[in-house]
Amino acid sequence: MMLQRLSRYSGGRPWVAELITLIVLLLCPVVLPLVGISADIASRILIWGLFGLGFDILFGYTGLLSFGQAAFFGTGGFVSAFLLTQTGIHGVFLALMIGMLVAMAAGVVVGFFTLRRSGIYFAMITLAFAEMFHFLELSPLSAWTGGENGLTGVPMPIVGFDSWHFQISSGWTLYGYIAAFFLVGYIVAHRIVLSPFGQVLTALRDNTPRALATGHSVRKYKLTAFVIAAGYAGVAGGLLGVLQSYMPPDAVAFHTSGQLVMQSIIGGAGTLFGPLVGAALWLGMQDFLQDIPFIAEAWMLILGIVFVILITAFRQGILGAVKQLVMKTEPATAPHATELSAEISRRTHIKGVPDEHPNQDNIPDHFFRTDTPTTKPDLLIVPKSSTSEGIALACRNLTKHYGGIYANEGITLSIPEGQLRGIIGPNGAGKSTFFKMLAGEVVPTEGQIFLHGADITGLGVTAVSQLGMSKSYQINELFSKLTVEQNLAIPVLARLRGEFRTDMLKSLNQVPGLRQQIEATLDLVNLDQRADIPVTELAYGEKRRLEIGLALASAPNVLLLDEPLAGMSPRERADTVQLLKRIRAGRTLIVVEHDMDAMFELAEYISVLQEGRLLAEGTPEEIKNDKRVQDAYLGGIEEA
Amino acid sequence: MPSLPLFLSQLFNGLATGLLLSLISAGLTIIYGTLGVLNLAHGALFMVGAYAGFMALQWTGSFVIAIFGGMIGSLLVGLVMERVIVRFYYQRPPEDQILVTFGIGIVITELVRLSFGGISKPVPIPSWGEGITRMGFLFYPNYRIEMMVFVAIALLALYLLLYRTRLGMIVRAGIEDSLMVNMLGINVYRIFLLVFGIGAMTAGFAGIVTSPILAVTPDMGEVFLVQSFVVIVIGGVGSFPGAIIGGIIAGEIVSLTSMFSPAYSQVMLFAVMAVLLAVRPQGLFGIEGRE
Amino acid sequence: MNNDDDQKNPKNGIDRRDFLKLSAGVAGGMMLSGGVSQLAQAADYPAIGNYPVGIKGSSVFMGIAVPRTGPYSAQGEDEIKGYLLAIDHINKGSSLARAYSPNSHKGVMGKKIEYGIADNQTKPNVAVQAISKFISEHKAMMITGSVSSAVAIAAGKLCDRERTIYLPAISGSNATTGKDCQRYSFRACHFAYTSAKALAPVIKNALGAGKKVAYLTPDYTYGHSVYNSMKQFTEAQGWSTVNNQLPPLGTSDFSTYLLNIANSGADVLVNICFGRDAVISTKQAKQFGLLDKMTLVMPYMAPFFEEEVGADLLQGVYGTTEFWWTLAEKNPMAKEFVADFEKKNGRKPGWSAHIAFLQTMLWARAVESAHTFHPPTVVAEYEKGNKITTDIGDVSWRAADHQLERPVFVIRGKKPSAMRNKADFYDVVEAVPGADVMPPIELFGCKLGSAT
Repeated sequence: MMLQRLSRYSGGRPWVAELITLIVLLLCPVVLPLVGISADIASRILIWGLFGLGFDILFGYTGLLSFGQAAFFGTGGFVSAFLLTQTGIHGVFLALMIGMLVAMAAGVVVGFFTLRRSGIYFAMITLAFAEMFHFLELSPLSAWTGGENGLTGVPMPIVGFDSWHFQISSGWTLYGYIAAFFLVGYIVAHRIVLSPFGQVLTALRDNTPRALATGHSVRKYKLTAFVIAAGYAGVAGGLLGVLQSYMPPDAVAFHTSGQLVMQSIIGGAGTLFGPLVGAALWLGMQDFLQDIPFIAEAWMLILGIVFVILITAFRQGILGAVKQLVMKTEPATAPHATELSAEISRRTHIKGVPDEHPNQDNIPDHFFRTDTPTTKPDLLIVPKSSTSEGIALACRNLTKHYGGIYANEGITLSIPEGQLRGIIGPNGAGKSTFFKMLAGEVVPTEGQIFLHGADITGLGVTAVSQLGMSKSYQINELFSKLTVEQNLAIPVLARLRGEFRTDMLKSLNQVPGLRQQIEATLDLVNLDQRADIPVTELAYGEKRRLEIGLALASAPNVLLLDEPLAGMSPRERADTVQLLKRIRAGRTLIVVEHDMDAMFELAEYISVLQEGRLLAEGTPEEIKNDKRVQDAYLGGIEEA
Repeated sequence: MPSLPLFLSQLFNGLATGLLLSLISAGLTIIYGTLGVLNLAHGALFMVGAYAGFMALQWTGSFVIAIFGGMIGSLLVGLVMERVIVRFYYQRPPEDQILVTFGIGIVITELVRLSFGGISKPVPIPSWGEGITRMGFLFYPNYRIEMMVFVAIALLALYLLLYRTRLGMIVRAGIEDSLMVNMLGINVYRIFLLVFGIGAMTAGFAGIVTSPILAVTPDMGEVFLVQSFVVIVIGGVGSFPGAIIGGIIAGEIVSLTSMFSPAYSQVMLFAVMAVLLAVRPQGLFGIEGRE
Repeated sequence: MNNDDDQKNPKNGIDRRDFLKLSAGVAGGMMLSGGVSQLAQAADYPAIGNYPVGIKGSSVFMGIAVPRTGPYSAQGEDEIKGYLLAIDHINKGSSLARAYSPNSHKGVMGKKIEYGIADNQTKPNVAVQAISKFISEHKAMMITGSVSSAVAIAAGKLCDRERTIYLPAISGSNATTGKDCQRYSFRACHFAYTSAKALAPVIKNALGAGKKVAYLTPDYTYGHSVYNSMKQFTEAQGWSTVNNQLPPLGTSDFSTYLLNIANSGADVLVNICFGRDAVISTKQAKQFGLLDKMTLVMPYMAPFFEEEVGADLLQGVYGTTEFWWTLAEKNPMAKEFVADFEKKNGRKPGWSAHIAFLQTMLWARAVESAHTFHPPTVVAEYEKGNKITTDIGDVSWRAADHQLERPVFVIRGKKPSAMRNKADFYDVVEAVPGADVMPPIELFGCKLGSAT
């Protein structure tokens, strides 16, 4: 089963999409003239499509809406055009590559500033930066860019070496040259989105804080995606200059960025081909409508209305809708697929190692699927980073102020390795803030935190996760557009690849240990049968289990669980309690929970917080009988 | 080095253009602060105000009526926009809100272009705005001074509305915590409609009062939209004082830089924004951590 | 049509062959009915550009790309009216058309002119796209239209590559027939250098010696050209340049620039802005009190500037123009043009309409004289530099840079009380002969490419 699943989300039959793209690109010069589409239009569509490949990686896959891509389109275009018209460089390809590199360098600089913010800030700031590029192009740099004139006389490329060479001319041969760039651009983009790197990008898009918490360096990934998009924009800009023999100043203008965004949305973001389809529709409609007398003037209005409707009702765009349609028809072939996957599943499980969890005997039968073989692969546990007399996690004098308000004050704790520690306290006792500080999400005002004896205060959630401590959240923090299995891949990738790696051209199958860890986690949280389901379709209890699974999959040796039982039905609750028992082996667990019964059943040792301070510590028995704890809870009830 | 009179003239001019930017940005920022929607159609609403005012002027010949016409025009467009489309977006991701308002902006602009043509419409300076005021070394067109007064009055009115009325309290509370406002049993959606309308009306007011000194064209709002982004990034998104201070700073940057090199005056505006982002990402008056 | 295979043009052969293959299948019938005579004619010259596919039918296509939106849209719309009038006259074979092109009957070489109009939005990139479409899809034999020099230069370059005649309408930059000149482009209007050279002595006589000049220069090729030329000629006569402000094209608030000028101590303001920018900047200059202290000079007066700023403001303002409708009083051809234009459009033509009309007529004449549409032959015909009688007097093309040697009209705004009718804004102070103001050929570095 696993083989089939992974192969599906790592691209199915490799190279099929590439091959189809090649064939379509080859057919265009034959077919398009028959329907009245010229080489010029086809070339323009491909340039927008190439521009859009990078933008789709940035927006469709990473979720960063930039309104400033024109800056890089223009940078690449003007640098190549400048080299070709004002200097001794005559190699078009060389000039395009230099243009791309300069655009990427510009991407690093602009990205440094713009990626400090996200969401609307990011959109506004990218727009403002692009306007700055526009003004720079128009006046201060006009000696090199031609200002309002742009640069004329960009030469046609010559393909080949020394004695054998071919002069590209306008029309379908130039189309061929541009199509070659598009094809290579597509192959690279396709590899990128299917790579482990690309998987992490989708995680950023769906839930940036969680991606950060699973141990990925979000800033580095964002910046890399931004630079990739800038590179695509740079090449596309350069090709525009070649296509027209002219590099226009308005390539840097706001409407270029706006047009790219609209085309991508119309075509479908997150599909790679979306921007191309959007561009085809855009240029096609412009071309077609402008020939119709009465509505010629209104073509932009019509496109604007189409855009608003698409955003409102079909956010996934044309290709997104097609993709959805294909996915919906897929269950028709389900029986066969299930058979196949069952077969594969049987084969993989034979190789599995016997279960070693000591608590399995205590687990009620209903927790396990009846059809599951009794063997399953091991779940990784990251080795401890250092040794400190068996203390997994400790904190000293941990304090957090918000203005004048003390959320936590002077908490000192020490949790031995392998313990299941419960943390309880009435509402407002500061449990959440305490947990956030432990996980590295909130920087303490005072005090220190030690993981296996090493000071981790202020390292941040990503580093803490990489060191082997992860957290599951009180409110589910899932990657909402991914399947269960893809969700679990994210923390595993952080564990196996570290906080950042640019393995853009590798496939997921090339990450050793990825499958085993996902499979083991799926098994453990009992979502094996649901692996291919998008998380939005899961039941609440399943989502809770996946939430815990996300924390588990990053192979922590210290696991923080924030109210794992919150909002569960009695049965789900029983399941989860058993799950917690099973995952204890080899891990230190720290659980915040309101459910006192569960806590007393599970925890070996309990710490009680009240009004931000540590009130009491002891075994469940001791805590049950502690007068102060009873007062605290009763007091809390009276107040409420 | 520029002479002192020139410096003071540009300083004053920077204040005048800056206050206008403050007003436009204030409209943008209270919509964002309350509704969480960055309205990319704000420039189009500015333009709608100018055209509605132009029509009112054509019919009545009175510039005062034109000002009200401009406000009412953009108010109506704003209300329709909120009721028909934007309100369905409150629960959607910010990217969708940006995209849809961007699209609405294009639709409005193109509708106006189709109805009125691309050629600029004349809105003459009213008779009481003609002439020049001389204050020693400084001379400044009367209408521009009066415009500053209009804009200042509008900003004051917004201030009173936000800080001295129950609606303002709710709006400001909503900026802090919309969930809480919701729980207090206040009909947030009606408030949202109202705020959207006020924001749109602010843009329309700015549009009509500036028409006599600018060209009234369908795309006249775009440059102000971009500049008001810079203003609210400098001032801090969602902050009313930030919009005012940010607007004045932006106006002064453009004006004062132009004394040395007009070519760099716009570039300098964006450069200052970039530096500020590096030093203080949340803007001058922004609240840390708020996105 | 069998000749195309052995007469491949290295640049355009493939493109065109593909088209021919297609048309053989799709439009075969049409081609056969196209007539043997045309095919025979086509065989006289090697295929190049859209020749001969563009002249197979009974009509030829002319692509018009002008701004219909943006700061120069008023001039763009006026150009369209000029083109339509010219096309109408040529297609009817009117007496006016024959006055320009004595060989003409109906149409050009017996072919009706068909046309397409595209909005170039005053953006070079949009213009280039529209023109590409005219050339590749409509097989245009001539492309025309421009208000901005940036557009004219970009369009000229593209058309040169595609071996298609391009005729800019308005383009004031020295570069258009200077360093950016093209073998396939021909400019008929006056431009920065000729305007400045014609205007400078007139304003010196009128305003006196030793004036201090401030400039408001749109920051692109046209503006820089006019600024440089005006500076050169006014400084040569002893005036000094005290300030130059460079607002970007499409600026809406000129206050910062105007304050700088106000404090510069200038007594002449040379406003080089064009189109809407000229109107707004001049109105704002008035509001800032600049025009009370300084004399306004508009070296390259935009069409319709007078209507938009009004006679009060215009009084005593000097400028140059390509054409002014009162020329009709002295020239019968101009009279017919102005009268017919007014009959069709209900107003006087601006010089934008005139230049469009003139360029179309001169093209028809060149094609008729060459007896073919074959582009290099038509180019060669232009380059003969024959004297041509037009409504602005005798003109001739200069072969070395493709600039029309033609008179430049210096005009001055009338007193409102002196206006005979509501369109009577200017006195034509002087018609400076072209020969007196043309730049030396090498001055702007024109190097024409090959025609084939």
